[in-house]
Amino acid sequence: MDLAPPPARVGAPITMRLAPYTNWIAFAVAMAAVVLALGWGARPNMLGLFVASGLAVGSLYALGGIGLVVLYRATGVLNFAFGAAGAAGAMVCWQLLDWGLWPPAAWAACIAVALAITLAYGTLIAPRLAWRDTVVKAVATLGFALIILGITTYIWPDDPRSISLPTDDVAIRFLGLRLTLTRILVVVASIAIVVGIWAFLRFTAVGLQMRALANDRDLAALTGIPILRVETLAWGIAGVLAGFTGLMFATLIRLEPVVITFMVIPAIAAAICGRLESLVAVLLGGLSMGVVENLLTLSDTFRGVRPIAPFVIAALVLLWLQRGQRLTFGGRE
Amino acid sequence: MSGVWRITPSGWAGLALALACALILPAFAGRYWLSVATSGGCFLIAIAGVGFMYARLGMVSLAQCALMGVGGWVMLRLNHAFALPFEVNLILAALVTMVCGFVLALPALRLRGLYLALVTLMAAGGLEIVFATFQFPNGGTGFGGVQMGSAGPFRRPALAETPEAYFRYVVACAVLGFLLIEAHRRLAPGRTWALIRRSEAAAMAAGVHVTLYKTWAFGIAGLLAGAAGALLAGSLGLLDAGTFRASESVMLFALAVVGGAHGWLGAVIAAALYKVLPAGLNTLGVDANLAFVIFGAGLLHAVITAPQGIAGQLTGALRRIWARRDA
Repeated sequence: MDLAPPPARVGAPITMRLAPYTNWIAFAVAMAAVVLALGWGARPNMLGLFVASGLAVGSLYALGGIGLVVLYRATGVLNFAFGAAGAAGAMVCWQLLDWGLWPPAAWAACIAVALAITLAYGTLIAPRLAWRDTVVKAVATLGFALIILGITTYIWPDDPRSISLPTDDVAIRFLGLRLTLTRILVVVASIAIVVGIWAFLRFTAVGLQMRALANDRDLAALTGIPILRVETLAWGIAGVLAGFTGLMFATLIRLEPVVITFMVIPAIAAAICGRLESLVAVLLGGLSMGVVENLLTLSDTFRGVRPIAPFVIAALVLLWLQRGQRLTFGGRE
Repeated sequence: MSGVWRITPSGWAGLALALACALILPAFAGRYWLSVATSGGCFLIAIAGVGFMYARLGMVSLAQCALMGVGGWVMLRLNHAFALPFEVNLILAALVTMVCGFVLALPALRLRGLYLALVTLMAAGGLEIVFATFQFPNGGTGFGGVQMGSAGPFRRPALAETPEAYFRYVVACAVLGFLLIEAHRRLAPGRTWALIRRSEAAAMAAGVHVTLYKTWAFGIAGLLAGAAGALLAGSLGLLDAGTFRASESVMLFALAVVGGAHGWLGAVIAAALYKVLPAGLNTLGVDANLAFVIFGAGLLHAVITAPQGIAGQLTGALRRIWARRDA
């Protein structure tokens, strides 16, 4: 989370003073180039619309990525069941709304279901795998995701469904664009969540313990940090985020368990942009993925393959971040 | 060098199983089960590749199914474009996929563990979308070669025109695949991989070209995946993009771990779990969604209780029985 670059010496040459910001400059240049290349010749209004809806989709990726990174840092588990928990929550929410329940209660139920599912895995199954390879731990969550997905699709077979929130009907005009409140809400929420989690990790005692755990599990355990409690809290945060993401995905994109379950893969792409570490980078990465993916609609060549954007971006980011490095034999990963 | 040709008890058992399968299974399995077994055999080859990379080098590929798709695409493309024999197409498909494996290995030069797995996952996610968008060639014109309606004819190998013969053909290819892995394990690359697995620092200090050998392993896994995809295309005559989703690639790795990555038995168990178990549940009339639940629960249970995989549990049990008899 430490994003402040080290202060450069005053009077150093400009290239040296800019060196700590290389990644940010490269990001800005690349994004500007992509937006210009794809949006060249399009009407500004059209372009704005694509960027705006791209930001909404992108913040869904970012929310997923944030949920994954918080959990991964604290527990070492990359949770493939993130999407499945959200899908189950969204389906329960739809069912309750269908029965005519008071909507806020149904939304709360969505988050509660996702929370319960995630916590169940975190407290019952995850501890049994604590000593295994990181990848095996990740794969185990896939087994869990299949169970949840199977149950969800068994209870609610394929059928066109949708959830609409009251914020869908409220729209504001901004620079000649009509934006529904739901889209604005999801973008603002993802930014607020990053700030909130950053503050939580920075200023609370539990946050400090969580950072210690992320830094070095064994040392943290030696210093007497209650690992189980901190981990459970991390699973809880991930569960709440899964529920919220599932609800938003169901509203904005599609309410279909399989689709929501496997949105975890682009969410992992967003998490990669932050090296599974920096929440701000995850947020920026997710938002850029959404924007680029939507802008690809403007290109005749790439229109068909536009969902590929997150993966290409993640691969490029990984290659960029490890440029100039050599495979050496230090470190755990 | 005399040790290279030695057949271990495990090797005898594997060859015996392959022979038994090839001779007995086609005799009493119906059309449906034979086709299930044939595609199981194809996935067996791919699983052998992914398991081998994990067992020898601890490298995780979450793109094996996607690479199978590449092999299948090349196979179908060649089949509909030229009149080459099946074997030539098979080898070309495997080689093209091997090159893809090399390309995929480029990030492996500098990445390890989870990050390496995630790079391959990104590749699988990308290929999933490419397959879904462009589909597989079925005799149409142009580079994509996709046409509406019925697919063009697919030429099976001259040796194996009937489903029964084709099943034996796949079994033979699987045996060849395992022999390729075993040969590598016994010769110089195997010793180098063992050294790298033990300590990369020691390997580098001993003058081993770590990058080359890691890339090599990726290439072999790609080669096997390509052959598997091409054989699958031969079994079905056409391919569907849904077979090669990123989630299937992750599943293939998961099953390789569950079955046991260290030997042929684990790969056989994994392939059976992947293809035969769902088909069995289907025949029993179990709802496809509930089959998912059973599958997921089994996966979770096996990951938790069997660190060496189901194969490890089986051989452990056998060893205990023998030890008791000897005592």
